[in-house]
Amino acid sequence: MTQLTLPRAESPLHHADLPALAGQDQKGGLILREERFSALVILRGPDDDPGMRAGVEGALGAAPPTEPCSSVLGDDGTRLLRITPDEWLVFGPGTQRQDLMSRLRSALQGTPGRVVDVSSGYACLHLSGEALADVLKKSTSYDVHMRNFPPGKVVGTTFGKGQAYMLRTDADSVLVIVRRSFADYTWLWLQAAAEEYGLSIAG
Amino acid sequence: MTQRNRLPERGRVDRSRTLRFQFNGRTYTGHPGDTVASALLANGVRLVGRSFKYGRPRGVIAAGPEEPNAILQVGTDPATTTPNLRATQTELYDGLVCSSTNGWPSTERDLTSVVGKVGGRMMPPGFYYKTFMWPSSLWMTYEKGIRKAAGLGQSPSQPDPAEYDHMNHHVDVLVVGAGPAGLSAARTAARAGARVMIADEQPELGGHLLASRATISGTPAAKWVRRQTDALAREPEVTVLRRTTAVGYHDHNFVVLSERRTDHLGPDAGGVRERLHRVRAGQVVIATGAHERPLVFGNNDRPGVMTASAVGTYINRYGVVPGERLVLMTTNDHAYHTALDWHNAGREVVAVVDTRAEAGGDLPTEARACGIRVLTGHGVIEAAGGRSVTGARVAPLSADGESLAGTTHELPCDVIATSGGWSPVVHLTCHTGDKPVWSEEVLGFVPGETRQARVCAGGVNGTYALEAVIHEGVDAGKRAATAWGFEATEMRDLAVSVAEPSQDPSMKLFLVPHHKPVTRAPKQFVDFQTDVTAAAIEVAVREGYESIEHVKRYTVMGFGTDQGKLGNVNGVALTARARGKTIPETGTTVFRPAYTPVTFGALAGMERGGLLDPARFTPMHLWHVRQGAAFEDVGQWKRPWYYPRHGESMQQAVNRECLAVRQRVGMLDASTLGKIDIQGSDAREFLNRVYTNAWMKLQPGRCRYGLMLKEDGMVFDDGVTACVDDEHFIMTTTTGNAGPVLEWLERWHQTEWPELDVCFTSITDQWATVTVTGPESRNVVAKLCDDIDFSREAFPFMAWREGTVAGALARVFRISFTGELTYEINVPADYGMHLWEAVYAAGEPYGITPYGTETMHVLRAEKGFIIVGQDTDGSVTPEDLGMHWALKREKPFSFLGQRSLDRSDSRRRDREQFVGIRPLNGEAVLPEGAQAVENPSNPVPKRTIGHVTSSYYSAALGHSIALGLIERGHDRQRERLHFMTSDGRLEEAELCSTVFYDPDGARQNV
Repeated sequence: MTQLTLPRAESPLHHADLPALAGQDQKGGLILREERFSALVILRGPDDDPGMRAGVEGALGAAPPTEPCSSVLGDDGTRLLRITPDEWLVFGPGTQRQDLMSRLRSALQGTPGRVVDVSSGYACLHLSGEALADVLKKSTSYDVHMRNFPPGKVVGTTFGKGQAYMLRTDADSVLVIVRRSFADYTWLWLQAAAEEYGLSIAG
Repeated sequence: MTQRNRLPERGRVDRSRTLRFQFNGRTYTGHPGDTVASALLANGVRLVGRSFKYGRPRGVIAAGPEEPNAILQVGTDPATTTPNLRATQTELYDGLVCSSTNGWPSTERDLTSVVGKVGGRMMPPGFYYKTFMWPSSLWMTYEKGIRKAAGLGQSPSQPDPAEYDHMNHHVDVLVVGAGPAGLSAARTAARAGARVMIADEQPELGGHLLASRATISGTPAAKWVRRQTDALAREPEVTVLRRTTAVGYHDHNFVVLSERRTDHLGPDAGGVRERLHRVRAGQVVIATGAHERPLVFGNNDRPGVMTASAVGTYINRYGVVPGERLVLMTTNDHAYHTALDWHNAGREVVAVVDTRAEAGGDLPTEARACGIRVLTGHGVIEAAGGRSVTGARVAPLSADGESLAGTTHELPCDVIATSGGWSPVVHLTCHTGDKPVWSEEVLGFVPGETRQARVCAGGVNGTYALEAVIHEGVDAGKRAATAWGFEATEMRDLAVSVAEPSQDPSMKLFLVPHHKPVTRAPKQFVDFQTDVTAAAIEVAVREGYESIEHVKRYTVMGFGTDQGKLGNVNGVALTARARGKTIPETGTTVFRPAYTPVTFGALAGMERGGLLDPARFTPMHLWHVRQGAAFEDVGQWKRPWYYPRHGESMQQAVNRECLAVRQRVGMLDASTLGKIDIQGSDAREFLNRVYTNAWMKLQPGRCRYGLMLKEDGMVFDDGVTACVDDEHFIMTTTTGNAGPVLEWLERWHQTEWPELDVCFTSITDQWATVTVTGPESRNVVAKLCDDIDFSREAFPFMAWREGTVAGALARVFRISFTGELTYEINVPADYGMHLWEAVYAAGEPYGITPYGTETMHVLRAEKGFIIVGQDTDGSVTPEDLGMHWALKREKPFSFLGQRSLDRSDSRRRDREQFVGIRPLNGEAVLPEGAQAVENPSNPVPKRTIGHVTSSYYSAALGHSIALGLIERGHDRQRERLHFMTSDGRLEEAELCSTVFYDPDGARQNV
């Protein structure tokens, strides 16, 4: 063994060195923060299976939501996003990274619920600022007006020429989740879309 | 030059500031609020271009988007210059530089005018049509001359530095046009609570009210407009777009708007120059108004002949009287406004020539009271003058307007304004396929039946009285909002009244007759931009063209950048007359998007340069960049192609990389391979159905190569799938097919076998993969991991293990795409770069060499491994590839594609089969795609019997190798064939086994 220290992790936008940009004095209409090293788990299973629902609720404090495009908050900052009729994206803060997967897996023993760790597979970009709506309108054909896209709603849609899940976290911000390999493209896209409003990076 | 036609007051221009601009090399002045057209007219400039075919001098005719003549090239910068802008819609800014696009090489003295004077014989009517139809070989030659003479402007020759973008909108009600109808509709819908967008192509809201002297419930029109504008600004859910043209109306109320954001500020404004709004509207209100229709008469294209409403607009909105002495010809009362405006501006109205026998309405009466001479029952049959109007030749008309009833006399004048009535702007309604309907009452085409959720209001319906227009707007707003689920409230402030003058009926007249027949009379222009005359239409009908669409193509009427906005209805009427049919029987041509031209920049938006298409990157990309790798596009991925060292050619680098793998150890970034997590109690059964081979006995910890076919039996994808446990597998796919394979699996699961308990999750991006391959690979990976036993016995070929590599949780697969001892290490992508650097460091003592896709291709070709999509093309079966071993035909549930393998075509003896090809000249690398022939001395065309699919120089073998598909190839071992190269040479090569290197596989079984 030549490697004795902990392995070095790099977030999808590591190469953009966002922390350095965040230190700069900035006034932007769009504020971007990369949610680094979040915990992400895909949960699959029949949404009416009592065993699976009970297992998830036991592990996260909330059962998987069944309403299309909805999400619910669980314990410790976790959130369950319903992304297809039998598929949920479980989002947890970085502190959950080590055990979210194993907690779910053991809670789902003996049920038809299945989990897959995708924590490294996505870039999570938290967007806010007064130009948020305009930047989103440039980026997606989905109707992002509050009447149609209220807090808690999650949709899978287009973003630039790529795809994203968008979660309205609250009235003023949206979490955009793109596949990791599209992170750089999305970063370039957001820079271009936000150019006229100014772009600030939050740490 | 002074602005000799500018009135001391009146209009909406700001006389306190003077703007300088250049037109055709001369400097003029204007004011903020001017368009280039109004400023040119203020300066007394008459000649703005030359005509398409005859090179005739042309002047400004209109004041809006229908202008056919005053078409400009704006800007001189080769990167930002814009062709074909209408001077009537180009806002003036200080320093603007423009020139005529029509009128190469110069407007004042034109070479094409010589052609024109010979009578346009070089281009008789139908030139365009006839050249298209048969002498197609000559078309390119003709076109060069036509394009140049036609003056369609210059495209920018340099990359455009400006920014463009698109914006998506969802609104309840979209209102197109912000005249009185549109403003009323928008306010009503907004008050009902709807999300409203209102767009207008002008810089200010108000439509024709900006040039109106009317009062609305006692309020001057301009003030009324300001009130509505302010009220809209206070509505939180209203978006107002100025300088924004609705260019396309598509099915399901998808409307495209083009917004010009900075051109009115000049070329250095910065910011987003143009924005394309993609609007999905619940309801659309069309309030696009109407364009005045000019009358057709002899020499009606002389500079100084204009529409009556344009003259009124220049006077009232811009404070510009475009001449000294006016003759106005009209078929209706409304145009008398223009005579009164001219008179009130203090200049001479020589006469109003009214084609009607009588004119007793309020406006004619007012005109007479002002001392204006009114000649009823007369028409202007011909304009006098060359480069400018000097007079109007007037003659009495018969009651039906079909012939002359007396002799001609000339009225001296320098402007002839005409009005043949109004043509509703129905263009947008037609974009979705609605047929406009002729109305005898309106004397124009009005919107027809529609399948779209839209309402029309105001002038577009042929409703012209202002009070009625506003009420129609209110009603449209109400109907749109309620149809979309809102409750409309009464708009008391829009319950207006407008005192309208009494009006006599208008006369239906399009062409003013001449003493001579149409074909002999001085040219009577119908479509100015394409130089189509009344005579040309008659000729077209005489030659047998009956459909209006054929007449259009024969004469090119409506083909200009203005799409014939001014002339189309006259053209339809004259076609009807020539055919002895009615206008409804004749119909219109089809109006298509775009309503006015749209720039390529606006259409492209942000999607250019680095954003043209997403580029996908692996977590190790930065390392490859720093090592100076050359990259190859694989799908959207950027993969390292090879890593040239200082001064190395590609071939040298690839040779070095290949030898390093064969002799020591190499490393490859294989993160782009598609990876799909498959779980469920029926996962194994599912694999059994989608793969050709057997999966029931694959044990946890083991992996297997699989071949996937489409229903037609043709190879679709291949890859290695690993068993985690009985209900959990990890499938790998080719890089390019990751998406299609996942879709394929989902499709079969969701539509055919929903009873199977199985689910699929893409984990391509979750895992980073480092391939370590070569005789020393075991030594390298063992240095990084102490919880996996890498010995041959404990970790055999086609097995996989979970463990900790370089501190990260890893899945290590012992599989091989090179034929060497290989470990593919997968770690969560966050640790990809860390793992890559750790492997590189651990391998340095062994001379580890990073290699790219080119070396990967050579190494696999040496082993005869296929690449789906390179060695296959969707028409190749596993048997063609010699992969009979991968087919398991006795499975209880036959695999996808199995039956198709027994079709007669699949069983055909002479199918092309996969073979190795060894050129006799070992230095010659056959081009991929090279065709095979048996006997090179056969006559041309030689029958080919196959082609090369992969071809490389093999450094390990010291000679070139190739793979290919050859007719009956499996039976032709050691036969010699000839391969044609792209430069016409022939290379002789011998067919052989596809496995060139280590045929027994000894190197990977160590």
